[in-house]
Amino acid sequence: MSAIERNNVHLGGSGGRSMIFAHGFGCDQNMWRFVEPAFASEFKTVLFDHVGAGGSDLKAYDKEKYSSLTGYADDVVEIGRELGLADAVFVGHSVSSMIGVLAAQKAPGMFGKLVLVGPSPRYIDDGDYFGGFTEKQIDELLQFLDSNHMGWSVQMAPAIMGNPDRPELGQELTNSFCRTDPDIAKAFARVTFKSDNRADLGKVDVPTLILQCSDDIIASRPVGEFVNRAIPNSEIVFLEATGHCPNLSAPDEVVAAMRSFV
Amino acid sequence: MDEARIDDFEDMFENAPCAYITLLPNGRIQRVNKTLLGWIGHTAEHMGGKRFSDFLNMAGRIYFETHIAPLLRMQGSYDEFAIDMVTAAGEPLQMIANAREGRDAAGKALFTRLALIKATDRRRYERELLQARDVAKTNLESERETSELREQFIAVLGHDLRNPLASISAGARILGREAKSDKEHQVIAMLETTVLRMAGLIDNVLDFARGRLGGGIALDRNASKLLEPVLHQVIDELRLASPGRLIEAEYAIDVPVDCDRSRIGQLVSNLVGNALSHGSSNEPVRVRAVTEDGLFRLSVANDGEPIPEAAMAKLFEPFFRGEVRASRQGLGLGLHIAAQIAKAHEGRLTVSSTREETCFTFVMPLRQRSQDHVRHEHQS
Repeated sequence: MSAIERNNVHLGGSGGRSMIFAHGFGCDQNMWRFVEPAFASEFKTVLFDHVGAGGSDLKAYDKEKYSSLTGYADDVVEIGRELGLADAVFVGHSVSSMIGVLAAQKAPGMFGKLVLVGPSPRYIDDGDYFGGFTEKQIDELLQFLDSNHMGWSVQMAPAIMGNPDRPELGQELTNSFCRTDPDIAKAFARVTFKSDNRADLGKVDVPTLILQCSDDIIASRPVGEFVNRAIPNSEIVFLEATGHCPNLSAPDEVVAAMRSFV
Repeated sequence: MDEARIDDFEDMFENAPCAYITLLPNGRIQRVNKTLLGWIGHTAEHMGGKRFSDFLNMAGRIYFETHIAPLLRMQGSYDEFAIDMVTAAGEPLQMIANAREGRDAAGKALFTRLALIKATDRRRYERELLQARDVAKTNLESERETSELREQFIAVLGHDLRNPLASISAGARILGREAKSDKEHQVIAMLETTVLRMAGLIDNVLDFARGRLGGGIALDRNASKLLEPVLHQVIDELRLASPGRLIEAEYAIDVPVDCDRSRIGQLVSNLVGNALSHGSSNEPVRVRAVTEDGLFRLSVANDGEPIPEAAMAKLFEPFFRGEVRASRQGLGLGLHIAAQIAKAHEGRLTVSSTREETCFTFVMPLRQRSQDHVRHEHQS
């Protein structure tokens, strides 16, 4: 199976350069629905789902491969190779920011610019480093995901019913977006919140834009500033948008900041 | 307390049987109802203007930011999600919630309304269900492993028992050539009988273990070879091994029988062995093998006490052992295996037992297997 099928790649837009959007933990490519159209007239746009999310091929999930962000970065590189991406703009939200940082190292020349929305190279505090979370809090989260199966089961109804070829059965779904396989989501949460990519930031050698929200408890301001200091050729824009998903809550602000960068 | 009024909408909001929270687009609390204040132990002044996430535990905060908030933005509502708030006393307040986003005409978020109900018991119940599922999974796994090991052990044991038995058999044959006295001949005949019986037992054990391991009874059918000589040989061996007993055999096999001949031999051996053990010792065991009316029919009959009614139902179950003298006691697999062989041939093994006679009958359809096959291929 090609990476394009495996990762449910959707192509849009037109233009000389390409822009690839990578979603974060908890969602799928739908989270770019307010941002991607703004660039479709100047860029060829690429949307995809990480394996385990949205319309990706769940059978492609390999515990070993996806036990670190490297596995996800390999997928991005594979998609890029299949599409022949060169000098493209990589836009990553949340955990996908670090996936982009890794992918850019693996495939020099594939990405000419990085846009990191709410990045965090490490969520757990470590000595002088402020990540925003203690180890215990992250363990609590992972436990909570275990017990919050009600939300999960609603999201996964079509998969459980085993009728992917009869979409009408999915119509009564409470949530049609951001469906995730519960077991994979748990594993992804573990990989995301236990990752430490601080050492990879210095290796980024392309212009990088960091979009930092106000009042973001997942990736707070000191974390964004850390990323800004660690990536040589980077700039940081502080958004008025609150929360962790400005691409949904304040798309205009995100688009404006991106536009002046790319 | 004021008297309750049915049309008091303020009361309907404040004292609803569920908690209400209204959030501004920036995630801060605009208003909460009294029901929530009662549950959580904070004042309205304390909560107003604070972030909703400030009242969630850490896991809830992350879950809200990464799952609920984006979904609300995309689809405008989100139902039935679990969320844990924290009370003023620091206790978890476990709830199930629905949320709706209020939007302007352009689709911009104006506010979010949440309705929450306490779900402590329900959440505990769900957790217990999950735990029970995990325990059941683990138990099943270990149960499966144990039973597989046990059956593998039987298979290996059965296999290893064959070798020493072959040595005993060979030894007895060598001694038989040099035996002089009647006594010596008798002892050697007894040895050979025992070897034969034991070989039969081992075959049954192996077949049983194989069947349980999922292999079933494999057949090597061959209609072009004659069945009768195999039956002859089996019965001759049994005669040799049972001095003093009479085995009458009658064959009328007019058409080829598409069967696994050695399996049918095993079936006959098991049935005759059974008849010799249970039948009256001064009457013959009668074997009859015929082809008639498109069927192959093989019956083994003996005189003696009829099989008790209670035993009839269990006769073909594994490890069923009837009343028999200890020296003749088997594993209780002979009839079970015979029935399995019958089944593998799409046939049946039945029994009738009266004062006059106990008779086991194996019947299987005589079909032109290869021709059926050819015809089928032409059709498709």
